[in-house]
Amino acid sequence: MSTETPTLESLQAALDAQQAVFEMHQSMNVEVFYWWCTAIMVMIHAGFLAYEMGASRSKNALAAGIKNVLALAVIIPTFYLFGWWIYNAFPGGLIPAEASAALPWAQSMGPDVQDMGTGIFWAAFALFGATTGSILSGAVIERIRVSAFLILTVVLGSAVWILAGAWGWHPDGWLLTELGYHDVGASGVVHAVAGFFTLGVLMNLGARKGKFINGIAQAIPPHNLPMTLIGLMMIIFGFFGFLGGCIIFNGGETGWTTIYNTPTNLSAFAFNTLMGFAGGVIGCYIASRDPFWTMSGGLCGIISVAAGLDLYDPGLAFIIATTMGFIAVKAAQTLEKAGIDDAVGAVTVHGFVGFVAVILVGVFAGGTPNVDGNPEISLYGQTVSALVMAVVGFLPGYLISYALKKADMLRVPDKAEDIGIDEVEILAKPYPETDVPAKTSLETQGA
Amino acid sequence: MGTSITSWENVSAYFTFADNPLALVLFSIGAAAIVAGLISTIKKHEDKAFEEYK
Repeated sequence: MSTETPTLESLQAALDAQQAVFEMHQSMNVEVFYWWCTAIMVMIHAGFLAYEMGASRSKNALAAGIKNVLALAVIIPTFYLFGWWIYNAFPGGLIPAEASAALPWAQSMGPDVQDMGTGIFWAAFALFGATTGSILSGAVIERIRVSAFLILTVVLGSAVWILAGAWGWHPDGWLLTELGYHDVGASGVVHAVAGFFTLGVLMNLGARKGKFINGIAQAIPPHNLPMTLIGLMMIIFGFFGFLGGCIIFNGGETGWTTIYNTPTNLSAFAFNTLMGFAGGVIGCYIASRDPFWTMSGGLCGIISVAAGLDLYDPGLAFIIATTMGFIAVKAAQTLEKAGIDDAVGAVTVHGFVGFVAVILVGVFAGGTPNVDGNPEISLYGQTVSALVMAVVGFLPGYLISYALKKADMLRVPDKAEDIGIDEVEILAKPYPETDVPAKTSLETQGA
Repeated sequence: MGTSITSWENVSAYFTFADNPLALVLFSIGAAAIVAGLISTIKKHEDKAFEEYK
């Protein structure tokens, strides 16, 4: 045993060493948290994959699936190439600020011993972007060309939503600094933007053949309803990664904060995520009695309270989610009557519910203070911001899909739609044995 | 050939070609070309596949 008497210097050195170890472990904890949030978010895409393939008729099931897989594959590199830069360069509006550290050739955009934040945050944001692509993907099944979809999904997933994110999520975003915008769970910056982008695309894409006869909407049932229900539940699971990725894990004494630097914690998110889910399911079930919509209600419910996830009383969140679930079904029916064929209800579930969710924060939590000198939450600020989200989503979706339509690049030909995109383009069958007549038990026994 | 470090002492960005901005720009252009090439290839495949169904 050492008999040396500790000096002030030696005690300070030991303290510094302990502090360095503590800080390194804290940084590692931050990385671990967002690593698993990102991994869990991949489940959203597995869910969308199952849900869209199930929602298609069997002749288009693989086309729906391949489109979804490729969306992830193109959004990830394009979000690396320019999405992260857009987030860092455009918080002030449409004129870029200096953000060279977020360009793909910057030293911070790769393995760096000293930087334990950029990569993990980039990854989480890339998966948020991929979620917007999947929201679009479901609505346009069974008639969009894969190439057109990929162009649209890159624009949405790596540019449009993240521009809205720069405005509404960045600490210097003008919606926050000018209007006190509050949207902690991305009801606006992800869901409303993607939903309204999708609406713009659907207006140019048109309905599936046979969807409307003499102006009356016809049911086109999913070829595998159970798979859509399982897919939707997988999306709900993935939402826990998504919403975890929306909270900020700070080092030091600060602990958890929202993306607006206001105090919160995972307990707050847990209360309202689950109450929102439950309320949405109930609301959609009461309004529809339909299995597909009942399960979609879980999404409606969470999205309807996500913007104020940190602020709501759980009982209030439950009531909001139930009401919004009920209204969402009616809104989807209204949209269909207007001649819009949204195969999975994405415009309503994400666009309409996300839009209203942003406004509801102003209704129920108006007056809540912000920090860092930003204005308090207000109904006016939330309403203007919701309109901004809708316009930022709708305009590029409409204009780019219009250009693709004019170039005859948007939609598959009528005959190919009749036969099925799988047979014409994908050159594979989802269920090849269905063409072979089943043998009777007597035949299999050689009788 | 692409290593950007000669020692692990005081290392920050240590990935391949981190000290060569021109190479990083070229890799970025290459990545963009792959995405554009994918979409272009799919469009050509679709044009051919849909030809007899127009």
